Amino acid sequence: MIATLLFVAFVVMMLLGVPIGAALGLAGAACIALANPEAQWFGLLAVPQNFYAGLGKYPLLAIPMFVLVGSIFDRSGVAQRLVNFAIAIVGRGPGMLPMVAILVAMFLGGISGSGPANAAAVGAVMIAAMSRAGYPAAFSASVVGAAAATDILIPPSVAFIVYSVLVPGASVPALFAAGMVPGVLAGIALIVPTVWMARKHKMGAHESSLPRPLFWQSLREASWGLAAPILILGGMRAGWFTPTEAAVVAVFYGLFVGMVIHRTIRVRDLFVILRESGELSAVILLVVSLAGIFAFSLSTLGVIDPVTNAIVNSGLGEYGVLALLILMLITVGMFLDGVSIFLIFVPLLWPIVQHYQWDPVWFGVILTLKVALGQFTPPLAVNLMVSCRIAGVRMEDTVRWVGWMLFSMFLVMVAVIAWPDLATWLPRYLGY
Amino acid sequence: MSQHHDPEALNTPVFEADEPDESTRIPLQIEDWLTVIVMGLLALITFANVIARYFTDQSFAWTEEFSVFLMIVLALVAGSASVARNRQIRIEYFADSGSEKRQRALARFGALMVFVLFALIAVLSVRVVWDDFRFGETSPGIGIPQWWYTIWLPVFSTAIAGRALGLFIRRGRQP
Repeated sequence: MIATLLFVAFVVMMLLGVPIGAALGLAGAACIALANPEAQWFGLLAVPQNFYAGLGKYPLLAIPMFVLVGSIFDRSGVAQRLVNFAIAIVGRGPGMLPMVAILVAMFLGGISGSGPANAAAVGAVMIAAMSRAGYPAAFSASVVGAAAATDILIPPSVAFIVYSVLVPGASVPALFAAGMVPGVLAGIALIVPTVWMARKHKMGAHESSLPRPLFWQSLREASWGLAAPILILGGMRAGWFTPTEAAVVAVFYGLFVGMVIHRTIRVRDLFVILRESGELSAVILLVVSLAGIFAFSLSTLGVIDPVTNAIVNSGLGEYGVLALLILMLITVGMFLDGVSIFLIFVPLLWPIVQHYQWDPVWFGVILTLKVALGQFTPPLAVNLMVSCRIAGVRMEDTVRWVGWMLFSMFLVMVAVIAWPDLATWLPRYLGY
Repeated sequence: MSQHHDPEALNTPVFEADEPDESTRIPLQIEDWLTVIVMGLLALITFANVIARYFTDQSFAWTEEFSVFLMIVLALVAGSASVARNRQIRIEYFADSGSEKRQRALARFGALMVFVLFALIAVLSVRVVWDDFRFGETSPGIGIPQWWYTIWLPVFSTAIAGRALGLFIRRGRQP
C-alpha cells in the first residue's frame, strides 16, 4: 500500500515536470513518515542523514572533475585540430565528413566523460563544416548527437562512475575497461548507416572540391589533443593516478593546451568554465544525493524482494526477463536522462542481477549502452538537444535520420548480450 | 597560424548556450563566486595531492575528507544557483507544452515542491547538527567536531528553499 503510494506519487510528480531529485526526495520522505507513525519525528531524521550520506562519497568527486575536463576541452581548440587531422587521413569524398564527425566524437570520448559536452565540442566545429560541404542541417545534427553518445561508453565516463558508486562489485577501472570495446563497436555501428545514407541521398555534393589538409602539418597541430587520452587512460592503467586524479591531471593539461598552446582560453574564461561545470555537476550530484533518500525508503519498506520474486518466478526465463527489462528501460529512457535511470533502477534491479548471477560489470555496460541509445532517441534526447540547437533545427527534423543509427547501435547492444566477452574480456585481460 | 592551407579556421567561436539570467532580489553572483572558488579549490587540492605523492611518496590523508566536504558544499551552493535558473533535471515533455497558463502553473508547482523538500531538509538537519554537537561527534578523518561540517546543511538548504520560493514568485507574476 505504502509502496504503491511511493511509486504513484513519484511518477505523477515527475510527469508534471517536478525536478527528478525533488520528486525522489519527497516521495521517499513521505513513505518514511507513513511507515514510522510511532517513531520520533516519524523517523524523518533519516532524510537529512541519507541526503548527506548519499553525497559524502569520495568516488563521486570524479564527477565534477570529469565535467570540468569536458568544459575545458570544449574550449581548448582540440576538436578543430582533430577534425583536420582526421580529414587528412580519410580524405574528401561523399560521406567522409560525417565519418570524421563520428571518429572525432569517439576520440574526444577518451577525454571527456559526458555526452552533451561532447556534442557541444564536436557540433561547434562539424555542423558548420558539414553545412558548407552541402549536408542538410538536420542530418548533421543527427550524426553529431548520435556520435556523442559513444562518449559515455568510451572511458572515462560519468555514467560508469555513478554505476560504480551504486554497485559494490563493479570498480571504476573495470567498468572503464569494459566500455572500451562496446564503445568502439558502437562508433563503427554508427559509421555504416551514416556513410550509406550520405551516399544514397547524394549529400555533401561540394565535399570533394574542398581542400584536403596536409598530413604532417595537421598531425603536428593535433598532437596535443592526440596525447590527452594516452595521458588519462594510460596514467590510470599504469597506476599513476586514480580516476579522480586522472581527471584533475586532464584539467590542468587541458588548461595548458587551451591557454598556452592553442590560446583559445583566456583568463577571464576560467570564471565561466568553473561556474558552468560547477553548476552542471551540482545538478547531477543533487539527484544522486536525493536518490539516496528514495533508495533508503525502498529498502526499509522491503518492497524490492516481493517484486523481484514475482519477476523471477514469472516463467519468462533469464533472457525473457532481460528482454523485458531492456524494453522497459528503452521506454523509460525516452523521457528520463541516463544518471536518473541509473539512480532509480539500479537499486530496483540489483536483486534480479544477483538472482541470475549476472556479471555486474557486464550489466553496467548493457545499461550504459541503453542510456547511450536514449541520449539520441527523441523526444527527450540530451545530445540531440545540444546538436539541434547548434544546427538551428527542430528535433522532429532529425527523426528521419536517427532511426537507422539507433537500430545499428541497438544491434551492438544485442551483440554484447549474446557475447558477454565483448565487455568482460578487456577488464579480465588487464586484471581488474 | 598558417591559415592559407587550413580548410577550416582554427579558432571557431565557442558554443554559448547561456541565456541572460532573470533578475533576482538576492544576486546570483553570491552562489556563482562560491561555486567558482570551490571548484577551483577542489581541482587544486587534488592536483597538489598527485604532485605531493609523486615527489614524496606521501599523500595527505586529510585532504580526502576535506575534498568530500567541499564537494557537498559545491552540490548545495551551485545547486542553489541551478534552482534559481530552473536548470534541474526534469521531464519537460508535458510541462513545457500546452497553454502558457498550464506551463506556468506546472512550473510553479515544481518550484513549490523543491521549496517544500529543502525546507523540510533544513528543519530536520538542524536536529542532526544539534545531535552532532550534543554528543561531541568528531569526523573520522581529521578528528575535528563533526558539526563544523554538518552546520552547513541547514544553512545551504535554507538558501535552496529560498531560491525555489523566488522562482515560485517570479513564475506567478504576469509576464
